[in-house]
Amino acid sequence: MPILSVSDLKVRYSTSGPEILKGISFDVEPDDFFAIIGPSGAGKSTLIRCINRLVKPTSGKIMLYGDDVLRLGARELRRVRRSTGMIFQEFNLVNRMSVMDNVLSGRLGHVGNLRALFRQFSRQDIARALSVLDRVGLSDHVDKRADELSGGQRQRVGIARALMQDPKLLLLDEPTSSLDPKISREVMALIVEIAKEYRVPVLCNIHDVKLAMEFCNKMIGLQDGVKMFDGPTSAMNEGKLNDIYAMEVL
Amino acid sequence: MASQDTLSVSEVTPERTWRRFKFPGSLYRYLGLLAAVAFLSLSVNYLNIPLDRFLGMFGRVGDLITDRYYPPDIEYVTDPDYIASVIETIQMAYLGALFGMLAAVPLGWFGAYNVSPSRRFIYPIARLLTMSARAVHETIWAILFVTILGFGMMAGVFALTMFCIGFAGKLFAEEIEAIDMGPVEAIRATGANEFKVMVYGIFPQVRVAFTGIGIYTWDVAFRAATVVGFFGAGGMGWYLKRNVLQIETQRVAAILLSIVVLVLISEAISAFARAKVAKAK
Ligand SMILES: Nc1ncnc2c1ncn2[C@@H]1O[C@H](COP(=O)(O)OP(=O)(O)O)[C@@H](O)[C@H]1O
Ligand SMILES: [Mg+2]
Repeated sequence: MPILSVSDLKVRYSTSGPEILKGISFDVEPDDFFAIIGPSGAGKSTLIRCINRLVKPTSGKIMLYGDDVLRLGARELRRVRRSTGMIFQEFNLVNRMSVMDNVLSGRLGHVGNLRALFRQFSRQDIARALSVLDRVGLSDHVDKRADELSGGQRQRVGIARALMQDPKLLLLDEPTSSLDPKISREVMALIVEIAKEYRVPVLCNIHDVKLAMEFCNKMIGLQDGVKMFDGPTSAMNEGKLNDIYAMEVL
Repeated sequence: MASQDTLSVSEVTPERTWRRFKFPGSLYRYLGLLAAVAFLSLSVNYLNIPLDRFLGMFGRVGDLITDRYYPPDIEYVTDPDYIASVIETIQMAYLGALFGMLAAVPLGWFGAYNVSPSRRFIYPIARLLTMSARAVHETIWAILFVTILGFGMMAGVFALTMFCIGFAGKLFAEEIEAIDMGPVEAIRATGANEFKVMVYGIFPQVRVAFTGIGIYTWDVAFRAATVVGFFGAGGMGWYLKRNVLQIETQRVAAILLSIVVLVLISEAISAFARAKVAKAK
């Protein structure tokens, strides 16, 4: 059974505005590392942000862990979000908090309001944070402020925060686009390794086709809100890529 | 040496023009300016300011000060009773600013359009409350609370609280509306509720700015606290009123002088503290 199943998803940001996604359907299986490629403006970010309802679709259906995401009330939506890790292009760390607090904030879906207010996380949470920080190679930077780190290190904090959630699915919105090529490759490789270790399926927006071909086992190609390709990475070829990116060349 | 490809100025056809202000917009600008000038002349005309008396005023002010207000009765403002009223004023400003800001933080959060927990209900209510607190002048709040609570410091504290809610609430909301929404979304995506989003995603971004605004609010509240006593709401304003009514001009001069000195001191402290906070990032 797919862990995520999207069908006929349509999005408009305003009632009179253009249709950004024009009926997208696809499934993500439990061991997928799934790439969404396409030129910028194709609707990749919109699509990925619909999955945890940071963007509210106009119509369609999203089944995630057996829940119908678009019909959930606020409380159930938070329950689904708390099992769904998200990593962003701009890292989206809280710059004025320490690395540790940023990572611990991944547990916010689990702790009570008072404990959250006074930053009283359980010992298990702290132990988990330390081991996750070890795993992403930041054990020397635990108490630094997030804005003292380099780009690659910041994205590792972002990865650690997502792992703290003990996610059943990772949503990645161009996790390497703000990094230089060498660091991009390292971070991408780390994410692939971690996804295997923690057995998490991944849905990953990615602009860089070469990285996608190298690291992902399935992909969909998006162009102007329409799905142009859906299949294993091995079925992707030059001609299809040119179709997907045709708009950008113009 | 100019290369062959570069356009020399003379080659550019003079038909191509460009205006900073394009047609309909430029018309509105001129109409607006015209209206402002017309309103100014209308107002001056209506006031019917007699120029000779207006200019003569400066001379008379000088005479008045030297005849009646000089020398200020310094002894009067060193009296223990008066000093006690100064301390009461400081306490009122402190309590008013404290209570006001405790209310202004949630109001600022609810009244910031980008993160308000409910744009349809909570946002307009928070905005209405903040705006009402601002719309009524602090002296009018003082009069209101004196009629409700009677004379004394409590009425003053309430009046200053309302004043600070309006003052800080608006600044807090504006500060929150300017934050980076990225971290807010990231915290939301972890399954945090709106309260935790506030504590982790919003507050760390505005903490420093809020501290600066808080100090500024206290400073402004102190200035307001010196006058609410005029209406019986506690503090040194009462002494001012009594002596004005009794035409004790030299005492009035001393009190005004003491207010100026105290406000200057509080402003200096506030400026110093805000500079410190700003450096802390
Ligand atoms: N919040 C928004 N409001 C209105 N339009 C938006 C918003 N976010 C994105 N868009 C529009 O949706 C289209 C797709 O954007 P996006 O999903 O960010 O594409 P991609 O991630 O593939 O570059 C763009 O035309 C963009 O202008
Ligand atoms: Mg994008």
